[in-house]
Amino acid sequence: MEEIMDLQQEEFDQVQYIVIRYGKEVFGIDIKYVDNIVRMQRITRVPNVASHIRGVLNLRGEVIPVISLRIKMGLEPDEITKMTRIIIIKLESGDSIGVLVDEVLEVIMLNASQIEKVGYNSKESVASFLSGVGKDEERDRLISLLDINATFGEKEAGAAL
Amino acid sequence: MIMDVTQYLEIFLDETKEHLQTLSDQFMILEQEPDNADTINEIFRSAHTLKGMAGTMGYKRMQNLTHDMENVFSEVRNNTIKVDGAMVDLLFQCLDALEEYTDNIANSSDEGDNDNEHLIKALNDYLEGKGAQASEQAAAPEPENAAEAETDEAAAGDKDDKAKWNQIKLEDTEQTVLAEAVSQGKKVYGVTVYVQESCILKAARAFLVFKAIEELGEIIVSNPTTQDIEDEKFDFDFSMIVITDSDGEDVKKAVLGVSEIEAAYVGAMEIEAAGKAAAAEEAKETQASGAHVPAAAEAAAKGGAAKGAGTDKKAVGKPIGNRTVRVDIEKLDVLMNLVSELIIAKNSLVSASMQEGMETGGAFNEQIEYLESVTTNLHESVMKVRMVPIENVVQKFPKMIRDLSKQLNKKISLKMSGEETELDRTVVDEIGDPLMHLLRNSADHGLETPDVRAQRGKPEEGTVFLNAYQDGNTVVIEVGDDGNGIDVEAVKQKAIEREIITAEQAENMDDKDAVNLLFLPSFSTAKKVTDISGRGVGLDVVKSKIESLSGEVDVKTKLGEGSTFTIRLPLTLAIIQALMVEIGGEKYAISLGSIQTIEDVKQSEVKLVENKEVMNLRGNVIPLIRMNQVLSIESTKEPDENLLVIIVKKGDKLAGLVVDELMGQQEIVIKSLGKYINKSKIISGATILGDGEVALILDTNALI
Repeated sequence: MEEIMDLQQEEFDQVQYIVIRYGKEVFGIDIKYVDNIVRMQRITRVPNVASHIRGVLNLRGEVIPVISLRIKMGLEPDEITKMTRIIIIKLESGDSIGVLVDEVLEVIMLNASQIEKVGYNSKESVASFLSGVGKDEERDRLISLLDINATFGEKEAGAAL
Repeated sequence: MIMDVTQYLEIFLDETKEHLQTLSDQFMILEQEPDNADTINEIFRSAHTLKGMAGTMGYKRMQNLTHDMENVFSEVRNNTIKVDGAMVDLLFQCLDALEEYTDNIANSSDEGDNDNEHLIKALNDYLEGKGAQASEQAAAPEPENAAEAETDEAAAGDKDDKAKWNQIKLEDTEQTVLAEAVSQGKKVYGVTVYVQESCILKAARAFLVFKAIEELGEIIVSNPTTQDIEDEKFDFDFSMIVITDSDGEDVKKAVLGVSEIEAAYVGAMEIEAAGKAAAAEEAKETQASGAHVPAAAEAAAKGGAAKGAGTDKKAVGKPIGNRTVRVDIEKLDVLMNLVSELIIAKNSLVSASMQEGMETGGAFNEQIEYLESVTTNLHESVMKVRMVPIENVVQKFPKMIRDLSKQLNKKISLKMSGEETELDRTVVDEIGDPLMHLLRNSADHGLETPDVRAQRGKPEEGTVFLNAYQDGNTVVIEVGDDGNGIDVEAVKQKAIEREIITAEQAENMDDKDAVNLLFLPSFSTAKKVTDISGRGVGLDVVKSKIESLSGEVDVKTKLGEGSTFTIRLPLTLAIIQALMVEIGGEKYAISLGSIQTIEDVKQSEVKLVENKEVMNLRGNVIPLIRMNQVLSIESTKEPDENLLVIIVKKGDKLAGLVVDELMGQQEIVIKSLGKYINKSKIISGATILGDGEVALILDTNALI
C-alpha cells in the first residue's frame, strides 16, 4: 500500500493518457479509467435508445453498453475498420462502458505544465467533453483530453434519451 | 471495553434483531393472554440474553433498559406483578427504544445517547408496585409487596423452578407403572440435571447421566424426550422420573459423578391414586423440605449472586430446530454468479457440439445431456438456498398494525396467511416497504372509523389481511381490507382536479382504469394528510418498486366492501426458462412464464378494430403487436406470409406478439443492461447466448 502511495505521489504531476484517434483529431483518455481495450466484436443493437448508444457487447460474461463518441460529439458516424477498437472504461459509479474509437495510438505521460484547461464558455460541442488540452512537444501536436465524468457520468446518462 | 468486539458486531445485530422480534411477538401474545407462563418466560429469557449481549458489546444504555425489563419480568414470573394493558404499552415503548438503539448501532456502531430515563423510571415504578398498576389494581392489592417477594418467594420459587421434574406430566400408563413400583417397595425419584453452560457435548453428557442412572434403576419418563436429548434439543437441563431400589443420595451421587454437570436436584416423588395434581403437589413439598438439603448447600456455596433468578435460565429461548448454517448473502451471490457462468459455458458447449455436427459421437451428446441436467439441478438447488420465507418481512406487521390501531383510534385485526411462502432473498429484502405501505394504506384510508362501521352494520373491528401463496412461477401477495373500498367517482374527481384527466375522459373511463389512476405519481386521495399515509409518495412508489422487481400490482375494489391489492412477483430474478425468437434477424428472449400459446395466424384472420390490429383467439379478441415495429426494424418475412404469434399474458390481459422465427426454448441467465441504458422500457435485460452473442430479453409486461 505504501509503495503505491509513493508512486502516486511521484506521479502526482504526471498523468498517463491513452491517445486515441477520431479522423485526424487525437484525444487522450486518463488511463486510470481504462479497464481494457478490445478489438471490434459483435455488438447487439438495443432498440429505442439514444443514437449514440450503439448496443451492448459481451465482455467475459458481463453485458456492457457500447457508446459512439463520434455521434455524441456530433462527428461523422463511426466507420468500422481493422483499426477500430473498443475502450472499456470503468466509471466512478462502478459501471463499465465501451467506447468505440477509430484507432488507439499510444500511451503518453503529460505534466501538469503541459496541460492547458479549456474555458467553459467554449461553445463548440466537442469542447464540453474536454477537461483540457495536452501539448505533446515531442511530436508537436495537441491532444484533446476527454473529461470522462462529464462525458459519461450519471447526469449525462440520464440525458441519454 | 478492553476487548475488541467489533468483529462480533454483525452477529450481535443479527441476534439482537431476532430477540427483538421474539419480544415483539411475545408482547403481542402477552396482550391477549396476560397469564401465559410460557410467554412470560420467553420474554424474560430474551430480555436477559439481550442484556448480556449488550453488556458484552459495551452498550450500557441498552443494557440498563433490558436489565430493568428483565427485573420486571422476574417479578411477573413470580406472580408479584400482574401484567396489564398499560404495562404492555410500556413494553412496546421499550421495544421501540431498543430498536432505536439497534438501528443506531447498525448505522454508527454507537447506541446513541438517549437514556430513555422515562421508560426506566416507569419500569422501576412497576417494581415498586407504584405507577399505573397501583392505580388500576387498587381494588385488588397484592397480598405481599414486591420487596418482600424478592426475598421470600423468589428464593423459594427459584428452588422449585430448578427442580423441573415437578413439571413432568405423567401419562396414565406411567402412573400405573409408578404405582406398581411403589407397591413393590421401590422408590420413585424425580431428577433434574443441570449441565454446565460451557459444556460443548451436552448430548454426550446427558447420555452418561442416563447410563449412570440406569445402573441404579429404571427411567420411566424424561423431559425432554430421550430422542430430543440425543439430538441436543434441550437448553442446559433435563428432568426424569426414576424407579430405583437405591435412595436419592445415591442417584444424586451417580449423576454428579459425570463431569461437566453443574447441579442435580433429586426429590422423592410420592405416588397416590388421587391423581396427578395431588402427586405433583406432594412431590413439591417433599422436595422442598427433605431431599433438597444438599442442593441448597451447593447454592449457598455458589454465593449470593447465583441466587438471582436469571442465573440458571441463561438458555436460549427456542429449542434448537433444524440444523442450519448462517451464510453471508454475498457468498451466495458469488455462488449464484458461478452457476450462471457455468450455464453460459454449458450453453456454449451445446452450441459448439451442434456446429461440429456429425463429428461428435453419441457418448459425447450423452455427456452433454447429463451436464445439462446437472447444471439445471445445480441452479435449482442454489435458487432454493437463496429462497427465504416472506415471514422475515411480514413478522413486523402485527406490531405495526397494533400501533396504527392506537394512533388511528380504530379497532384493527390483522389476518396473515402464507408467511411461509418463499421468494428470492433479493426480492424479500425489497418487498417490505411496498407491503408496509399497502397495509398502512388499508388501515388508514381503507378502514372506516368504528362508528361509521357500526352504522353500516359491519363489525366494529376492521380486518386488514395479507395472504401470500405460490401460483406457478410467481408468488402472489394480496393485501387488503374490509373497509370502505375505493370511491371511483372520488378518484375521478380528484384526477380532474389535478388535471391528470379531463372531465370527458372521466366520463368514458371504466372503473378499472379509474382505480389505476391511483398508481399515478403524486396521487393521494386522502382528505387529510396524516403521518401514516397520504404523503403524496404513495401507490406510485409501490408500483414502481414492484415493477423494478419484475412484478406487477393490481387492485380490486368494491365500494363499501373493501379493496384488495394483488402483487405478483417472479420466483426468481436470475435465471429463467425463455423462448428464443428472431425478429428482423435479431435474437430476443421472452420469458416462458408469460407465454400462453403460440399461434400460426393467416393474414386474413387479422382484423382492424379502431385502427388497431386484432385477432380472434378461440372467442377472445386479442390485440396484435408487431414486434418489428416496436423494435424499429424490418421484418424478414414477406407481407403475405402467415403470422407467427406468441400469445402472452399479463394478469388477465392477453396480447399477441408477432415475431419472425422461433428458435427454441433455453435456460437463460439474466444480466442487467446497466444504468446507462435503463431507459429502454421494453427490454428488461440481456442474456449471453451459447456462441457469446448478447440477446435482449423482451419485457412483455411493458408491451401489454
